[in-house]
Amino acid sequence: MKVKSTKKILAVLAASVLAVSAFTACNSNSGNGSSSGTTGSADTSSFDKTKQVTVITRENGSGTRDAFIELTGLLEKGSDGSKKDNTTASASTLNNTQAVMSSVAGNQYAIGYISLGSLNDTVKAFKVDGVEATAENVKNGTYKISRPFNIATKGEGDDLTKDFISYILSKDGQDVITKEGYVSVIDDAKAYAGSKPAGKIVIAGSSSVSPVMEKLVEAYKQINTGAEIELQTQDSSSGIKAAISGTCQIAMSSRDLKDDEKESLTPQKIALDGIAVIGSNSNPTDNLTLDQIKSLYDGSITTWKLK
Amino acid sequence: MVKYKEQIMKVVFFIAALVSIAAVALICIFLFANGVPAMAKIGIFNFIGGSTWAPSNEPAEYGIFPMILGSIYVTAGALVVGVPIGLLTAVYLAKFCPKHIYKVLKPAVELLAGIPSVVYGFFGLVVLVPFIRDNIGGNGTGSILTASILLGIMILPTIITVSESAIRAVPDSYYEGSLGLGATHERTVFRVILPAAKSGILAGIVLGIGRAIGETMAVILVAGNQAIIPNSVLSGVRTLTTNIVMEMGYASGLHREALIATGVVLFVLILLINALLSVVKRRSE
Repeated sequence: MKVKSTKKILAVLAASVLAVSAFTACNSNSGNGSSSGTTGSADTSSFDKTKQVTVITRENGSGTRDAFIELTGLLEKGSDGSKKDNTTASASTLNNTQAVMSSVAGNQYAIGYISLGSLNDTVKAFKVDGVEATAENVKNGTYKISRPFNIATKGEGDDLTKDFISYILSKDGQDVITKEGYVSVIDDAKAYAGSKPAGKIVIAGSSSVSPVMEKLVEAYKQINTGAEIELQTQDSSSGIKAAISGTCQIAMSSRDLKDDEKESLTPQKIALDGIAVIGSNSNPTDNLTLDQIKSLYDGSITTWKLK
Repeated sequence: MVKYKEQIMKVVFFIAALVSIAAVALICIFLFANGVPAMAKIGIFNFIGGSTWAPSNEPAEYGIFPMILGSIYVTAGALVVGVPIGLLTAVYLAKFCPKHIYKVLKPAVELLAGIPSVVYGFFGLVVLVPFIRDNIGGNGTGSILTASILLGIMILPTIITVSESAIRAVPDSYYEGSLGLGATHERTVFRVILPAAKSGILAGIVLGIGRAIGETMAVILVAGNQAIIPNSVLSGVRTLTTNIVMEMGYASGLHREALIATGVVLFVLILLINALLSVVKRRSE
């Protein structure tokens, strides 16, 4: 009996020791976390510029990655049509914007990139060539890492095509675009006042434009219930080809149309998408040149000394 | 009438049994029909032995050797972390644990099994990855080490539960006989009971391997996902499963088929593990 009770006491003691140690561990952890997190924006003194940069990229095939490597020159195009993505193989790869942001927020030496629409104050966006990443600068063209979202039609198109485009360019349509986090291109858009014709059209093309187009189609279908709109997601070039050959009425493209394509199609810019290059709030670097971004991502610069 | 009912129920049971077989068969057919032509197009040696994964390049390269190695390293790491802890926990639960602690410990272990893997992953991303980076080293959003530790924790419930029941299944006469020969409780547990429960414990470990190699959502957040052959435990790593999940969303054409072919390789690996499991089981019978 006595033996049993001492065992009991021992067990309780052991359990409490465990609990206490777990608590203190928790405390010290959360203490560390807050010191690097909340006070981070003010405290850049602990930042060691000789430490290695943590380069974070998106997965192959992501529209954001495609645009980023093209705009920063990481994509090397050979004259024979060959393409090479020069992003360093040691870059950490994450497959969604949220994971990129929380990784950058939690690592003061990290660099990443996200769509401008997703940016919030847990991370900071670097100026690129001295220009801040804002919707305004994307709109006036001074912010370099941005791309247009275009649609293109053959001639004027049928009634439904015309009406849907007038919806996209109306205030209602542009509101949908801004709500999705993209930059609207039309300043004095008027409210939609179309004729709502019935019919069926096919929209095909870029997977980057497709998410916002899906929202536009959804919103438009609520107004014009007689419309049947099919959305096919491939890439910009196939969408443009399909529009030229007539298999789709509207092409979506996340790049500008080439001259020979413009001969048969009429392009229309519907929105702009900026890509913000982000770092930790405790990173003292404010400005990066396009060249430095490229060098960070191809691995020729590995520290925040940036040389 | 009774016979009639009997016949109907026979058919019902037969159909129920067929459903799972049909599911396996369909998945097999889908995987191989889509994956094998891609492997042939890429070249089986370029695919399995190639060390560069660059599907967006022109010409594209589809080498999954880094991912095969990644899956093996991470699984091995998980075993290093999970097996000793799991096994000792199982021994404690079965042979040393007082009843009132058991009442807390056992549900806690079962709860561990019930936590969704993405929650493990997020915990790893927010707590484990910064902790390892600040205290041990490494760079990036994860490494073999972080993935191994996290997977080691995730396979604990499997190993503990299976091993515990294997230990409990050892006949009491073994224990009593050993005590009767003068061995202590501890000596009996480690020298008599554990060896007798060996094959059950092995089965638990093999099931743990299956869980670790197939895990995706947690690994994707803590492994860094670089498609490179890792050179240290602090280097980032991409596994077969994460490769599929990360890129499937946008992939098209040969890239998509190559991802399905990655699934074929994973499927074959899992089949091998299952074969191993049945060998282990047969030996125990």
